[in-house]
Amino acid sequence: MTSIHPDQLNAQRLAGVARGPTPPPVNDPSTGDGTLIDTPGVRPPLILNQRGFGEITDIVCGYTENKPPRWWLPAFLSAFGLAQLGGVMILYLVITGIGTWGLNNRVDWAWDITNFVFWIGIGHAGTLISAILCLLKQKWRTSINRSAEAMTIFAVICAATFPGIHIGRQWMAWMLAPVPTANAIWPNFKSPLLWDVFAVSTYGTVSLLFWYMGMIPDFATLRDRADRRLRRSPDDGPTVAPFLPVRSDKIRAYVYGFLAMGWRFSSRHWHRYEAAYLVLAGISTPLVLSVHSIVSFDFATSIVPGWHTTIFPPYFVAGAIFGGFAMVLLLLIPARQLYPNMKDLVTLRHIENMAKIILVTGMMVGFAYSMEFFIAWYGANFNERYAFQNRMFGPYWWAYWTMISCNVISPQVFWNKKMRTNVVVVFIVSVLVTIGMWFERFVIIVTSLHRAFLPGQYGMFEPSLVDIGIFAGSFGVFLTLFLLFLRFLPAFPMAEIKAVLPQASPHGLAGHGAGDDSQHAGTAHGTTKGGH
Amino acid sequence: MPHDQCPSTVKGEKQRPSKEQLASAPRTLQRVNGRAAWRSLDEAVDAPEFRDFLEREFPAGMAELVTREAVDLSPAGAARDNESRRDFLKIMGASVALAGAATIPGCRRPDHKIYPYGAVAPEEVIPGKPLFYVTSMPTEDGGALGLLVETHEGRPTKIEGNPLHAHNLGKANQRALAEIQRLYDPDRRTFPVYRNPARGNVPATWDDFRAWATEHFATHAAHQGAGIAFVVRKNASPTRAALRDRLLGQSGRWRNAKWFAYSPAWGEAEFEGTRLAFGRPMRVVPMMTREKTSVILCIDRDLLDNDPMMLPASRQHGATRTLWGPDDPMSRLYVVESGLSATGGSADHRLALPPAMVTAFAVALANFVLPRLQEPGSQAVAGALAALPAAPADTIDRVFLEECAKDLLDAANRGRSAIFVGETQPAPVHALVAALNQALGNVGQSIGYVPVDPETASSGHAALGALASGLRDGSIKTVICVDANPAYDAPGELGLPELLEKTTLISLAVGRDETGALALWQLNQSHFLESWGDTRSADGVIAPIQPMIAPLYGDSMSEIEFLALMASTDFGARVDGYEIVRSVWRARGEWWGGAAGDFDTRWRRALHDGVVPNSAFKAETPAPNFDAIATALAQLPAPAAASPQALQARFETTHVGDGRMANVAWLQELPQYGTKVVWDNPVTMSLRTAEALGVLPVGYSKKDPNRMYTQDLYPHARVAEVTVNGRTFRAPCWVLPGMPDNTATLPLGYGRANAGLVGDGVGVNFYPARTGAGYATGVTIKPTGDTYPISSTQNHWTLDGKDSIIRAVDLPAWRKHAGELQRVVDRTYGTESTLNFAERLGELSHMPPNLSIYPNPFNRSNADADPNDRTPAKPDAPRYANNRPPAYAERPQWAMTIDMGSCTGCGVCTIACQSENNIPVVGKKEVAKHREMHWIRVDRYFTGDDINSPSGIHHQPVCCVHCENAPCEVVCPVNATVHGPEGINYMTYNRCIGTRYCANNCPYKVRRYNWFDYGVKKFNGDYYGKEVVEKVAPDRGGVTGSGRHNKINPNLIPPRLREKLDEIATMGMNPDVTVRSRGVMEKCTFCIQRINFAKHECTLANIRDQEGHVVVPDGFFDVACAQACPTNAITFGDWLDPKSRVHAMRANARSYALLGYLNTRPRVSHMVRVMNPNPEILKRTDKARFEHMEDPFHHGGGGDGHGGEGGRGDDGHGGTGEKPHAYIDSRKRNGDAGYAMSLRVLGGRA
Repeated sequence: MTSIHPDQLNAQRLAGVARGPTPPPVNDPSTGDGTLIDTPGVRPPLILNQRGFGEITDIVCGYTENKPPRWWLPAFLSAFGLAQLGGVMILYLVITGIGTWGLNNRVDWAWDITNFVFWIGIGHAGTLISAILCLLKQKWRTSINRSAEAMTIFAVICAATFPGIHIGRQWMAWMLAPVPTANAIWPNFKSPLLWDVFAVSTYGTVSLLFWYMGMIPDFATLRDRADRRLRRSPDDGPTVAPFLPVRSDKIRAYVYGFLAMGWRFSSRHWHRYEAAYLVLAGISTPLVLSVHSIVSFDFATSIVPGWHTTIFPPYFVAGAIFGGFAMVLLLLIPARQLYPNMKDLVTLRHIENMAKIILVTGMMVGFAYSMEFFIAWYGANFNERYAFQNRMFGPYWWAYWTMISCNVISPQVFWNKKMRTNVVVVFIVSVLVTIGMWFERFVIIVTSLHRAFLPGQYGMFEPSLVDIGIFAGSFGVFLTLFLLFLRFLPAFPMAEIKAVLPQASPHGLAGHGAGDDSQHAGTAHGTTKGGH
Repeated sequence: MPHDQCPSTVKGEKQRPSKEQLASAPRTLQRVNGRAAWRSLDEAVDAPEFRDFLEREFPAGMAELVTREAVDLSPAGAARDNESRRDFLKIMGASVALAGAATIPGCRRPDHKIYPYGAVAPEEVIPGKPLFYVTSMPTEDGGALGLLVETHEGRPTKIEGNPLHAHNLGKANQRALAEIQRLYDPDRRTFPVYRNPARGNVPATWDDFRAWATEHFATHAAHQGAGIAFVVRKNASPTRAALRDRLLGQSGRWRNAKWFAYSPAWGEAEFEGTRLAFGRPMRVVPMMTREKTSVILCIDRDLLDNDPMMLPASRQHGATRTLWGPDDPMSRLYVVESGLSATGGSADHRLALPPAMVTAFAVALANFVLPRLQEPGSQAVAGALAALPAAPADTIDRVFLEECAKDLLDAANRGRSAIFVGETQPAPVHALVAALNQALGNVGQSIGYVPVDPETASSGHAALGALASGLRDGSIKTVICVDANPAYDAPGELGLPELLEKTTLISLAVGRDETGALALWQLNQSHFLESWGDTRSADGVIAPIQPMIAPLYGDSMSEIEFLALMASTDFGARVDGYEIVRSVWRARGEWWGGAAGDFDTRWRRALHDGVVPNSAFKAETPAPNFDAIATALAQLPAPAAASPQALQARFETTHVGDGRMANVAWLQELPQYGTKVVWDNPVTMSLRTAEALGVLPVGYSKKDPNRMYTQDLYPHARVAEVTVNGRTFRAPCWVLPGMPDNTATLPLGYGRANAGLVGDGVGVNFYPARTGAGYATGVTIKPTGDTYPISSTQNHWTLDGKDSIIRAVDLPAWRKHAGELQRVVDRTYGTESTLNFAERLGELSHMPPNLSIYPNPFNRSNADADPNDRTPAKPDAPRYANNRPPAYAERPQWAMTIDMGSCTGCGVCTIACQSENNIPVVGKKEVAKHREMHWIRVDRYFTGDDINSPSGIHHQPVCCVHCENAPCEVVCPVNATVHGPEGINYMTYNRCIGTRYCANNCPYKVRRYNWFDYGVKKFNGDYYGKEVVEKVAPDRGGVTGSGRHNKINPNLIPPRLREKLDEIATMGMNPDVTVRSRGVMEKCTFCIQRINFAKHECTLANIRDQEGHVVVPDGFFDVACAQACPTNAITFGDWLDPKSRVHAMRANARSYALLGYLNTRPRVSHMVRVMNPNPEILKRTDKARFEHMEDPFHHGGGGDGHGGEGGRGDDGHGGTGEKPHAYIDSRKRNGDAGYAMSLRVLGGRA
């Protein structure tokens, strides 16, 4: 190991593996890490530390190419263990019956649908960031959209589990699909549950396409880098396993090569890519609104007091974005602390922006809560009034007030700039919002059902261990997938980040004091070229 | 010590089985015997019975018949023995004739063996088509019910009342309907068991027993049976009486033996009282009619539910209160009681008093009434009454007492009232009430007296006492318990279990029991559905018992067969129930009018009809002996007030009756009256008493009386040490609003130790506390600090302000407004609708008329939103515009009404439905999770201002209401629940995947989900936490509890690892109804199988309307709940049939749609409960309600334009600073016009 290629050395330096010069930290508290400049006319940097194109590539590829940080394996194993616990619980549930949950004939839905709506909501931030912010040319989205989209996919996977297993005869779930059968019995197209099937599957499919398509150029970069290493020293480099003499780069080259679908960075490819990306963004944008609207129809079209409300569609969408951004923060704040150089990509500006969205959507949600009560009072329907009074003061008062304090009160700290730029505070509020949004669904579902119309059929719901285990398991699945994503997939869209760098501007580098970017740019070009 | 005389074990006459064989014997025998009844031909050919049958060429029994030593009890029997050849021909002929007349293949022919259909099946058996046969059953109070049993291919599956039986006229009680489950109980005794002194219980055969008995009873023969005691249940069966006389009569073989008859849960105070009054025991029978009865007073008698006269009384009481129009007569019911019973719940005025004070009330009432009547001869009684110490002041509500008395004394009501008094009260009170009824002229009008046979009238308590003393002094050496369980249900002071254990005890019973566990011989008895016999009901109707099926467990004997065997000189003799009954009946010429006639014709007629014609007693009007009554009154104890330190406790029975039915899961899971508790018999008391004693349920708070239900998934009772008559029980205590203070109930029939998987360890046995009196005084209750989980199906006491659910008005309001229709015009939309009396009481009175914004494809137009618009389209109208007729306009259109005015909340409908529709039981733990499966439930609501003394209790049976605009249908993603053209909301189990969305969207919450494999997996007893069993019943604690309880909820075990339903238990299923698997939603189907059956029959009979559609005539069939309802509160039929009852009921002004404002358009409508309070009592106590009675629809009785006013309608009484009302939502009172009127009755002030 006497000689090491300068590119590799640079990559190792940027990944924190090798030592090298790092720029001094910014000490001005008003600008945070330097991205919070509020002066008009000054465009704060989106990427810190004057990273060049090559450095961006090295940082992002480094996450998959270098050995993972020490915490990664224990974290992965714990998450995977949790996921397996959920899997075993699901197996037991399917074998034994839905009765292993705490559901009953008074409260026929509880944690199952709560979790479903919770997870579906989580996904909304990803689509919003990748589609709506893309259309709105919000450049700051580039640092977070990949991970947010990944989160969307994983959340949809978790969400789709619950309707699948919550039915009594899981093996008959195919009957929800519009499969023409010999006796010509179709599903009931009037049922919101069927709309759910279509809405969620459409949403999942489009989100997956969007996510995957955005990764194609990055896969190509990863492929090329592995290929280059192989060509340079065919017998060197790590193997897949100590006893398996297969070079991991070989596998990387094949797998990423397969995933890259023959991407060659040609202008024609970029042209097609940009057009397709825009089209998908256009398709996704209404989905942001439609999916949770349709999920809310599960409740809004029913006649249960507390569900039967026209405000639900916008209210659910706002709530979903609210909860989704909290989850993005929940994932990215630890990640940027723990992964080397990630703070350069995910800056305080990103965190502050998301905190602002949380504040706004949180107040929208709060407004919706108050409007529900107003309409319940104004509508003069006794059962409706009773339902909302029961929500506040009935046996589940604690759930309601947890929801209010987490969702309405806790984001109010974000009025203060210091608070919303303090990662610890933002993290804590994100945790609270995530809890609050779960309780929101719990409150809507359980407190409405448990005292619906006839007092003779009032009842209570209490979760069983299987309820809890499967919910925890869904978190396990979610975190497992997210950790795998960080480890093996390009967690940031390199090409898009490069496009928002100052040196990518055709008007030069005026006003940004960029130094020797030409060298880095050259390296970057060299790297990509070297791949061919 | 009993000697080991069993020939199979002592003499080695038979090959002695090995230990292994013995260990496996019960299982093998049970299976072999259990399968005998429906064994396929292939299996049968190897069976000994079948070989036997083949060898004989003739039906088994024929050979014996020719050369028999039959047990014939009739005087003519001996002579006829010579005519056996003729009998042979007769019976051979009869078996053919009977097949046409009454019997079935499942029904035993004289040959007693069932065998598979051969090449030629009996003519009347059409597979898939049920056959109905009558029989009857003895009840536990000594009476009987006539039954009609539905059988499928020889299997009885459903029990209904025999419509021809004068006592119950087609109705039956909860226990009779549940006998199906007792018949197919896998825990029944299946073969004789002999308790070998050395080796414990060993399986044996009846031959072993016969051999043993020959030897054993030889020692008694010398003394003509001295030392033998027969312990039996009271039973008025003529055949059993004949057998008893044969056994114990002058020439009887065992004329020195003792005969002890008792009914564990029922006393004889009524007979004692009538003996005092009339010189001979008599029974009071209600003879109330709509025309002749206007005032009824029940003094601590649950006449409408747990009572020997439940069915006639419910029928009659319902009839006196059915209102069709504003001018119909209506009776008024006063109830004074020491508990909370269905009768009390039905009362117009109810007074709750501790049992001793109830006596004081009766005395005070008589003291008020008798002097004012001047009945000749009654002065002595009046004098005696005046001499009695008066009850402490303020213990009895004077207003109630005086106004009730004045109502009875009212000239208009003279001879038109009825006073009944119940079991808890001592005999002198019964005598006093007899005097009162006589003085009021009721006898022969609303009530009558019928004779009681001496055995029924005898004191069961004295009999058991004599048994105990006989055992103690050694004069009784052999005890033969026939269908009696004294080891369980005898008073504890007698110490019978210990005494019985030391004696030679023979126990014959259907099910396992505690006496059997002590017995030397446990013999298996035939269930009444398996045997021949006869019964006599409380009012005298004689009915045959005929078998529906051969004994499931091979050899078994019915009670009469066993007694006949005992009476026979040869224990090897063949006994034959059929012959025994026939010989008795043949001898009773007087039953048949004394005229000569062909006995066989009469016999067949009786078997067909299920009754001996004109056998009911004629009601008598005996003259009371006032002097004797006066003397007896002097013995009455001074009225003792109850206090928290010295409570009074009443013994009562609940759904499981006296405990014999404890192993019937249907009854264990039938919610108990008032508390709605299942699977337990907690000691109930009022909230105030529970608070004083420190035994309030865990989590109960005064502010939120429902908090105990919401604090924890399982509400917990406090366990207390209850000391009654010197005996201490550890029992959970529960609260029941409406109970008198300082009074507790001790429900009997629970705490069985050896009943089977279901009944073991459920509840606490309070029998040991009994002393023969109807109630106990000086009871103390001390909390122990332990808690105990309680399961109930309804976890809310009150209406929570949602008062339009239950609508109730006072009679004057009905009289005044019943005929009015209110036209509501909505100002905004210009639409109008018409509201009947009942609808004016609810939300519809201030809502815009329901109008769909879409043209509803199922209606004729979008303006057709009036749920009562059922007029068929005119023939010339363009009916087939879309090439199809408008929905719901062609017959039949099924509909139902439920009259809350006559519903008593007894729960018979629930059991009938459970039996008809194969509804599984789920167990205590699952009920605690609100997972009970009943398709029809009875919701109960307490009303009034104070939960301690609620002003009323209201019942609302709710089943699927079959909405025309069904919320469940639209949300089902897989089209599993859809609407039929006849207005039925179908549930397609095959299609259901179990999303449960339908259940969420059902406002009536009638959908029931199979959370587990309830239907097809063995109901494995019940789950009890080990620690709980140990705390409550230490003797049954330990690692294994009673040895059979589950340590975990068996449902949590994957179904593949669980036992399937017992084959025996599956035989009771209705083959016309699917057994639902897990993951499937179910609900009331309007008994679709019965509808389809009826339609097929009518199609075959070609019954059509003028348009050519097949129609089902009204009354051709009934759904199970409507058929069973003792008060006929449920009516079912074709709504479009203008002559149908349901058509008339739906058109009645009392009919309203529950939650109708949701525009669900239910096909089941509920009917307003009309109460008939005494205006004088209201004037003195509840002035607001009284004033309200005069002008219920205040301000001109409502009118046009009211609908638009909605939230601003003012009832003129709101916000007058009255005290807050627990059950009335103040926010609601301004929103609802008719609400205020209903509210007065529901106990609140608007």
